[in-house]
Amino acid sequence: MISDIQNPEPTSRILSLKNKTLSPVRYLSLEQAKIITRIYQENEHLPVNLKRAKALAASLSEMPITIDPEELIVGNRTPDSRAGVVFPEAGINWLLKEIDTLPDRPQDRFNVRQEDAIYFRENIEPFWRGKTLEDDIYNLFGEEISEIGKVVKINQTDHAQGHICPNVEDWLKYGPAGLLKTARERLKSASDIRKTFYESVCITLEASCRFIQRYSLLASDIAKNHDDISIRKNLREIAAVCKNLSVKPPESFREALQSVWFLFVILHMESNGSSFSPGRMDQYAYPFYENDIKSGTIDRNIAIELLDALFIKFNQIVYMRNANSAKYFAGFPIGFNVTVGGQKKNGQDATNELSYLILKTQDHIRLPQPNLTARLHKKSPPEFISECSRVIGLGNGMPQIVNDESIIPALKNAGIHTDDCTDYALVGCVELSTQGNYLGWSDAAMFNLVKVLELTLNDGICLLTGRQIGPRTGTLSSYNDFADLEKAYGTQVDYFTEKMIKACEAVENCHQAHLPSPFLSSVVDDCISNGKDVTAGGAKYNMAGIQAIQVANIADSLAVLRKLVFEDKFIMKETLLDALRTNFEGKETLRQSCIHKVPKFGNDVAWVDELGSKWITYFADRLRLYKNFRGGVYHMGLYTVSAHVPMGQNVGATPDGRLAGTPLADGGMSPMFGRDKHGPTAVLNSVSRIPSHLASNGTLLNMKFLPSFFKDPRDREKFTSLLKSFVCLPVNHVQFNVVTAQELLNAKADPETHRGLTIRVAGYTAYFTELAGDLQDEIIKRTTHGENS
Amino acid sequence: MGKIAEIEGIIFKIKRFSVHDGPGIRTSVFLKGCPLNCIWCHSPEGISSDIVIWHDQSLCIACGECVNACPEKALELANEPQPHVRINRKSCIRNGDCVKICPTGALQFAGSKTSVTDVVDEIIKDILYYETSGGGVTLTGGEPLNQPYFSKEILKECKKRNIHTAIESCLFTEKETILAIMDFVDLFIVDIKIFDGQQHIRYTGKSNRIIKDNLQFLAETGKSLIVRVPVIPGITDTVENKNDCEKFVHNLNKHIPIEYLNYNPLTENNYKRLDIPFLIN
Repeated sequence: MISDIQNPEPTSRILSLKNKTLSPVRYLSLEQAKIITRIYQENEHLPVNLKRAKALAASLSEMPITIDPEELIVGNRTPDSRAGVVFPEAGINWLLKEIDTLPDRPQDRFNVRQEDAIYFRENIEPFWRGKTLEDDIYNLFGEEISEIGKVVKINQTDHAQGHICPNVEDWLKYGPAGLLKTARERLKSASDIRKTFYESVCITLEASCRFIQRYSLLASDIAKNHDDISIRKNLREIAAVCKNLSVKPPESFREALQSVWFLFVILHMESNGSSFSPGRMDQYAYPFYENDIKSGTIDRNIAIELLDALFIKFNQIVYMRNANSAKYFAGFPIGFNVTVGGQKKNGQDATNELSYLILKTQDHIRLPQPNLTARLHKKSPPEFISECSRVIGLGNGMPQIVNDESIIPALKNAGIHTDDCTDYALVGCVELSTQGNYLGWSDAAMFNLVKVLELTLNDGICLLTGRQIGPRTGTLSSYNDFADLEKAYGTQVDYFTEKMIKACEAVENCHQAHLPSPFLSSVVDDCISNGKDVTAGGAKYNMAGIQAIQVANIADSLAVLRKLVFEDKFIMKETLLDALRTNFEGKETLRQSCIHKVPKFGNDVAWVDELGSKWITYFADRLRLYKNFRGGVYHMGLYTVSAHVPMGQNVGATPDGRLAGTPLADGGMSPMFGRDKHGPTAVLNSVSRIPSHLASNGTLLNMKFLPSFFKDPRDREKFTSLLKSFVCLPVNHVQFNVVTAQELLNAKADPETHRGLTIRVAGYTAYFTELAGDLQDEIIKRTTHGENS
Repeated sequence: MGKIAEIEGIIFKIKRFSVHDGPGIRTSVFLKGCPLNCIWCHSPEGISSDIVIWHDQSLCIACGECVNACPEKALELANEPQPHVRINRKSCIRNGDCVKICPTGALQFAGSKTSVTDVVDEIIKDILYYETSGGGVTLTGGEPLNQPYFSKEILKECKKRNIHTAIESCLFTEKETILAIMDFVDLFIVDIKIFDGQQHIRYTGKSNRIIKDNLQFLAETGKSLIVRVPVIPGITDTVENKNDCEKFVHNLNKHIPIEYLNYNPLTENNYKRLDIPFLIN
């Protein structure tokens, strides 16, 4: 199948659109904040879901829209591309503090127009003061959240919940007009308590139809003033496509892709949640593609150009975070995750021609978005795996690879029905989700197990601040043996888990009160049939994900404690504790022994890996004891995105020889950078000992290969074999950077000439030169495979 | 398994995910000791059968722990150009106290006595990858046929587990040795370096008569064969040498592939770590 797909270069139209997307400077955008504020001022008496619905409806009607005459796929939430949109109802305290530093902060800068800064200070912020989600969370639970802040990072406190895979298939089947019809029928027979929910849904769907129609009218208008025949033709086509979509479901491939994009634009206008993900595009778009190809309406080249155009659009919406959050999620990843390949509900391979075309599109576009994921399983066609290898070898870290054989059982284990498990997709970076019926709340919190180990060694006292933050369970010196130490570790973990769950509940409670999302609820099953907003637990699956951080440092540190301290007595307990308290100052010899005298995670040494596995299992089991605020389960993820850098800043010196404040291991499943010495197979074997089946929220493994490894077709074939082996292991995810350390060093030193260099940071790709220096350094230090030594 | 465990050999490295020593993803086992002494050898630690101390300057933090630990006072801390450790190879009795104490792994034994069981345990860790890639194990060195019984037992154990086996050899050995292991080897990778007999003696220390005879013998048996010629600037990379080698191999069997191995520019570091002079530049 692949052999007869040609790979023409992107068309000049696509190259031009790509350039235009990248070049504009990013600005803060206040337009929608003004509309939202006005609606809230005019409707203070209304229930919150109606206020939210009206605010979205007004935005859809009033936000200025633009069309570039070259575009094939149109639509954006702001007239400027890549603008930083302000959503006041979620929280703007950070912006009040940071609006002047936005243009110059270390990570993810946005320019601010002077008049916007003034308007924000004088008109927007005063109205919202004390009324936002963030204010409520802070007033109700701020103290508790900050008390555990060194151990647990509670997320979702100043923005709406994202990381959702809407039901795109139904959106394409019914269109907003069809969904509106259903909602109206429900409204007629709804009980009083459900009425406002259905009303709010209807308001947003009506407005969505009008929004799409506005693009039709605008395209017709612009067409009138254009002399160029081909441009006029394209604009008329846009007008026709949008006109159809405003009243009925899509019929052609072009209409389907345009419809998908409108869905994501509107979702991003309703909420500032990140990572609404398109999911399995090769599956739901295939019937449209197949029809058009069969009828001869389009050929493959036209299909690729349309996909190219859509891929460019995914880069025009970016996410403006506060400075601290930008450190954790650097490079404004918004995470439009597109998944290809995998299997059908009956277990047969699902790969089709569109799966290959989407890989070709990735080859063409090579921008940070969308985040492209390929699902592999034991029956994946070899040519599909081989095409994935080729595209990975191009070097921008995509597609990332996930393993059906490991993930489907993990989801089943979390209580998901088999049919939904086989239909899973990724959202955002590496988070797992079923399609169209799942509120994953996948980034509820990050739990720093390494920090908890520090507290276990130091009687609950933080090494960095000297403050008592955990229970007094003893110091390293007071533990008689390793079992004693582990017992105390368990006590500390339990203590912080309990506190974290309470904080998560408080956050979700406030989301229900502030950020119901009627439009989103119209595309997540079973909100409409339940008559319940998605924030109130209307979805079929209601999960909450907690990330356990970071298995490599836990395994490595416990291995040093068990072997060098308790078994061999090579290092005295007091000596090590003293060294940790003083950040190994003047004790480099001891630190080197900690690094080199005991094997480390990632080298296929079973007893070391199993120490990590034991505590990951312990943590996952503890989470299962709680139910989340929407009635679903808490489950574990093993990924940090880029948070291993700031998370590391919270942790003092550790027994694995890591210095205070330096980064933890990257990714989530990766070995500590530079400490894996036996190549990629040893890494994969070590990682396979960590219980991925308990990490149903997602896992992340980074690997770095040399570009030279992909030049020779025979070597590339070996890489393909490595992917085939990966599918046989109980490991959920792996992704690859294909770059030399020297190239990265050059880019760091000379960013101007390396603007286009993209790098896999965590579960996402970003421009290397747009990352903060400490994150750049950490990526450079990661072990590179494929050397001929 | 008791019998296997009794057989020990000396190895100096096991490299996993080895991708340039035969088909697929492989594990390469480096056996110590070689009858030749090629001046460009990229693994000088593999030439001698003695287990000497290896000192990696780049890892050394000049903490001086080894200096204090050595009962023979064979180590000293030098300060120029920057602080580093110097080994007096003549007084070193290789008792390993320095290796034990060295916190960074800068001091190590360049090789270790290892049982067949231990080697096989390491090999089978990557069976999955051999299966998906058509890979397996490659014995290399040094010269694996320098430890024929040890090599044979490893290969035998691998074949019991259906692992593809390759041996990389210079074939400077008795024909009987080859006969003894042949049944357990799926692929021979043979180095022929220099065709001219005199030049061969000059750069490797030995005549290539036996090598050529053995290669001819192997080719006649119909065993799978790859011939490798290292590309050493000014020595093996002459047009004449390449032509001669190719002609010779072609005459044996025109289907035998010839691979040219590029010279590894990092080789010199390995000589520094052993304090032996490197004659190529």
